[in-house]
Amino acid sequence: MTLVKEAPVRPAKKRSAAPAAGRRGRRRENLAGYLFMSPWIAGFLLLTAGPMIASLYYAFTSYNLFTPPKWVGLDNFTTMFQDPRWQKSVEVTLKYVVVATPLKLLLALGVALLLAQKRRGQALYRAAFYMPSLIGASVSVGFVWRALFSDDAVVDRTQKIFGVDVGGWIGNPDYVLYSLVALSIWQFGAPMVIFLAGLKQVPQELYEAAEMDGAGPLRRFWNITLPMISPVLFFNVLLESIHAFQVFGSAYVVSDTRCGPADATLVYTCYLYQKGFKEAQMGFASAMAWTLVVAVALVTAVLFWSQKKWVHYEEAAK
Amino acid sequence: MGTSRNVERRTILKAAGATAATLGLAATTGCGGDSGTSADGTVTIRYAWWGGEPRTIAIKKTIALFEKKYPKIKIKPEFTDYEAFWEKFQTQASGGNPPDVFQNAVGFLRKYDKRGVLMDLKAQADAGNLNLKSFRNGVLANGQVDGKQIGIPVGANTMALVIDQKAFKKAGVEAKFGWTWNEYFAALQTIQDKSKIAGDTGYFAIMYLYDLYLRQNGKAFFTDSALGFTEADLTQWWEDGYKRVKSGLVADPKKIEQAKPKSGLSAGLAASEFTWDNFSIRYQGEGDSDYGLAPIPTTDGKNTGQYLGSLMLSAFSGTKHPKEAAQFIDFMVHDPEVGKIMGYDRGILATTEQYDAFKPTDPNNKGVAAYEDEVAKAGVLGKITPHPSGADVIEAAFLRIGGEVAQGKTKPADAAKALFSEAKAAFAG
Repeated sequence: MTLVKEAPVRPAKKRSAAPAAGRRGRRRENLAGYLFMSPWIAGFLLLTAGPMIASLYYAFTSYNLFTPPKWVGLDNFTTMFQDPRWQKSVEVTLKYVVVATPLKLLLALGVALLLAQKRRGQALYRAAFYMPSLIGASVSVGFVWRALFSDDAVVDRTQKIFGVDVGGWIGNPDYVLYSLVALSIWQFGAPMVIFLAGLKQVPQELYEAAEMDGAGPLRRFWNITLPMISPVLFFNVLLESIHAFQVFGSAYVVSDTRCGPADATLVYTCYLYQKGFKEAQMGFASAMAWTLVVAVALVTAVLFWSQKKWVHYEEAAK
Repeated sequence: MGTSRNVERRTILKAAGATAATLGLAATTGCGGDSGTSADGTVTIRYAWWGGEPRTIAIKKTIALFEKKYPKIKIKPEFTDYEAFWEKFQTQASGGNPPDVFQNAVGFLRKYDKRGVLMDLKAQADAGNLNLKSFRNGVLANGQVDGKQIGIPVGANTMALVIDQKAFKKAGVEAKFGWTWNEYFAALQTIQDKSKIAGDTGYFAIMYLYDLYLRQNGKAFFTDSALGFTEADLTQWWEDGYKRVKSGLVADPKKIEQAKPKSGLSAGLAASEFTWDNFSIRYQGEGDSDYGLAPIPTTDGKNTGQYLGSLMLSAFSGTKHPKEAAQFIDFMVHDPEVGKIMGYDRGILATTEQYDAFKPTDPNNKGVAAYEDEVAKAGVLGKITPHPSGADVIEAAFLRIGGEVAQGKTKPADAAKALFSEAKAAFAG
């Protein structure tokens, strides 16, 4: 293991100070560390790494769960790219990611800015705004959402007051995806907390100096706050986009397990699930899963690449 | 601050790693089952079904009855709704761990026979553990595939038209045996003119109704291994359907979607809906009107294309307790007490013992019985053929694509093409 290899390259001075006995002690310490980690490592190998490798293999097979997988090479991928429903699922997912992620982050940042100021009952506000993130993933919220956005329900009636009549979002293929977007935005708590932490790190001296130079609130935000929290913003953008690509539960529940109507909420994972567990095309589903992994990796890579242009780490450290 | 660029990055990566780990762990689920014999010789078998709460309550009563009569056999119940049932079943069966006895339907017989999951119950019948006599109207044949008896019917049902009687009465139209499709749609038009509600909830996306229409025209939805109609047939069917949505004769699909899980009929969105006759019991509970069963419209004034379908019980081919599983099925389909408890929840009781034991007293069950009697008397009943493997996937696709047509999102010709291409993949799977 690596720890054994590392030992000889340690500086000679240290080695003389702590000879063989110390090395053994360290090794024992490491061993204990690995021992404590072993449940997690075993879990990772058995439940994550193992299935992932298996699924990589299945991606190149035709596998219906019952008969042994049959090697088909790239067939799954070629059928996938030509499949109109797959194309639709990509379209729906991209739309969701592009609309939901920025809106959610905008709201998270906005609320974080409000909550960063000292005021009474601050802790209560924070808890209240964070709450939806805790329960948001549950199935029951999906049902609540369905009820809210149905025909003649709260949202529909409120819209009608303003003269907008679309007759509920749930049954309407043109609107239903936006009810999922709304559900995602509503759960802005987690990025908000991260933004809050970031805002607390911004040195007050900078603001004081800027104020003395006559910079208004907008200018201060743009020239101080935003650059200072850009690493946090980057982290949030990264995490939330990855999450958005993987949206499943809300789409599945809100659209009554069919990801519709008319495939309007057929997000990528929903189609993957249908292919795998309803149609028993595990090979195809695995191919889809790996395509998603590669796509998300690409998006992550692009984001990392782009951070050079807009993420500011403290110059002093360079 | 002393944090360097590297440290910040590492923190970010660490956080990302931790998130991934949490997600990984959260994704793990436990599953497992055991069907074994305990020390005192008591055998446990698993019994799974789908259905609503009333069915579950009734079935649990029948299990208690069985366990009293066979103290050495314990039954472990498993139940969910229809969709979840088959998803779970597929996973269980592929892992070699399906329930010992389970509810089944015609769309799944060939599929799971092909995969070797279903037990041929003939051997158990020969051994005297299961009685294959006294099934009504030849319904036992529904569970046969290639000479094997892989399903034992618990009830018989047939497609019907459920109507809002108040709406029909108000418009002064009558649903009568032998009426034609033209007469049906004319009646819906009258209802729409007089009562301002749509006529039908969306007939053209129901695979089993299209099957009847095809049968009226000398075809059928499925042959033994393929689709029994052409793309042009289906295009025509969906074009007519879409036209009727546009004209308001068929209810707005958006509203139907909103009403779920309530049906469009009981939500008052339309005056009639095609469904299985034993499902009609739900409407009275859901809606405010009076509902009744009406005959299927015909092409020639005679042939409705109807047949008796049924829910069945099947056993797992690899069960450790084939004898007990057969005894359990035998009890469930023949015992008169069970018939009394279940009623027509899964269709008209399939065996004479149970049929004679249960005398319906409420108007719903009475209506279902009278309806099937009438259909049987008319002598229009055709033969059901076990659907090819993949039929379940095609049924879901038919409903979905039909919905897209209704919403105006797909043109009928493209929709028909899509169905044929999905069917091809489903048959191959």
